[in-house]
Amino acid sequence: MIQMFHVSKIYPKEVVAVSDITLHIQRGEFVFLSGPSGAGKTTLLRLIFRDELPTSGQILVNGRNVVRLRESKLPALRRSIGVIFQDFKLLMDRTVYDNLHLVARVLGVPEAVSRRKIGRLLKEVGLLQKADEIPYKLSGGEQQRVAIARALMSDPAILLADEPTGNLDPDLALDVMRLLIEVNIRGTTVVVATHNRRLVSEMGQRALILKQGRLMEETH
Amino acid sequence: MVWERLRHLLDETLLNFRRGGWGVVASIGAITVAFLVTGTFLLLTLNLGTVVAQWAEDFQVIVFLTDAITPEQVTLLRKRLEGELAVREVTYVSREEALADFRKQIRGQESLLEGLKTNPLPASFQLRIQKQHQTATALGQLAVSLRRMEGVEDVLYGQEWVDRLTSLVQVMKILGIVIGAVLGIASLFIVANTIRLAVYARAQEIEIMRLVGASRSYIQIPLILDGTLQGGLGAALALGMLYVLFRATLWQLGASAPLIFSGAELGRFLDVEYRMGIVGVGALLGAVGSLVAVRRFLRA
Ligand SMILES: Nc1ncnc2c1ncn2[C@@H]1O[C@H](COP(=O)(O)OP(=O)(O)OP(=O)(O)O)[C@@H](O)[C@H]1O
Ligand SMILES: [Mg+2]
Repeated sequence: MIQMFHVSKIYPKEVVAVSDITLHIQRGEFVFLSGPSGAGKTTLLRLIFRDELPTSGQILVNGRNVVRLRESKLPALRRSIGVIFQDFKLLMDRTVYDNLHLVARVLGVPEAVSRRKIGRLLKEVGLLQKADEIPYKLSGGEQQRVAIARALMSDPAILLADEPTGNLDPDLALDVMRLLIEVNIRGTTVVVATHNRRLVSEMGQRALILKQGRLMEETH
Repeated sequence: MVWERLRHLLDETLLNFRRGGWGVVASIGAITVAFLVTGTFLLLTLNLGTVVAQWAEDFQVIVFLTDAITPEQVTLLRKRLEGELAVREVTYVSREEALADFRKQIRGQESLLEGLKTNPLPASFQLRIQKQHQTATALGQLAVSLRRMEGVEDVLYGQEWVDRLTSLVQVMKILGIVIGAVLGIASLFIVANTIRLAVYARAQEIEIMRLVGASRSYIQIPLILDGTLQGGLGAALALGMLYVLFRATLWQLGASAPLIFSGAELGRFLDVEYRMGIVGVGALLGAVGSLVAVRRFLRA
């Protein structure tokens, strides 16, 4: 589903974020991307949905070469990938409902379908009562779950979660992980970036360990 | 799907409008002013142009005759006038006809003539001049030679005025084009700036839309429509104001100087083609302005 061949990303001023990474994530897998802060986890995820282009190397996502993807094909790639951003990227001047609705509009989903889908997703993340709230007024954990629901709006084949448990207490973190596993069971390939190694070992899933942009080890 | 798209376009455009608030109002206002100024020039130039052309046609050379002139002298004079190379057409207007014409012109104010016991108006020959002789100097020479003729009281020719007015119209036309161009470019920048602010105000939303798979055109088209609408609306508003101003001015003139401004051919508003053209140009400027903004500020 996701393949990288000798991928490097060097930011201006010689900042090496990702260095010579080769990896293969199968369709339907659940994979952790772990490593300390600044290891290059976010950068690696951004390379997958072509928010950044690699300095060198090739990246295949769902059979498409992301590096040589034409601008006109970019929307299709992005629609097949749901992203939970590290900083959530929620619009703080819209309701929770409108934040999800934005995706439905971009996708051109009919109004009735989108209403049902938003309802179902908010229920799944336990936020149905908060649909008309402004994310600004929600707790960090609640905002996190809004971000998850939004990432699932497009029924993505791939879900990229960047620190989805970042500022949650351990119990809530486990809830979120359970949610992601469920999504994975329903067939979505899930990649979770986290610096929380304990969580990784507790979950017992495949993990790719990054350090200073390099792939250090793989555990199962 | 198509319906959703259209709805999206409408929603987004209106959203931009609402979000834009005073910025959008100011933008439309500025465009309105620009088109009002330019439109005023256009209207004045067109009307003055028609009037001058009409005058040039009507008011060429008038040869006033002495009251003592005999019918034989009139016939003789007519022959001589018709013999002139520059003269295309000779029309005799008797004293009675002159008075009748005058009465017609001042319809409604015939009381002005009540005190008159005798007809004060002279008989005249009205000459139409060949196009190639229609210059102030040629007509001046003609007037001098006509004045020497028997039975001629005076010769009047408006060519100098016609020439002056023609060059005035010319100057106004050029001035109008220059001012129009300057204000047009200004309008373009104003729209570009308003759209730039709209892009900034919605930067986060636009980023999210791109990240969840919105195409470039999906994001750009509503913004460009927004600018187009601002331009078109500004121009249409200017057109409306221009019409009101125009009517008010005519009414004012008609009340203060009925003798001059009673003619029906005087005071024509812009034709449909011009009106559509003005709104079209406004919309086009808006479109180009927003396109520039979108191209510059929506990179990546
Ligand atoms: N847009 C950018 N421009 C320049 N340097 C960047 C950019 N993004 C990341 N970097 C640098 O690349 C390196 C890797 O950053 P990245 O965000 O991928 O790390 P991370 O593993 O996600 O860290 P964290 O756990 O803190 O989120 C860091 O040194 C960072 O400073
Ligand atoms: Mg990160």
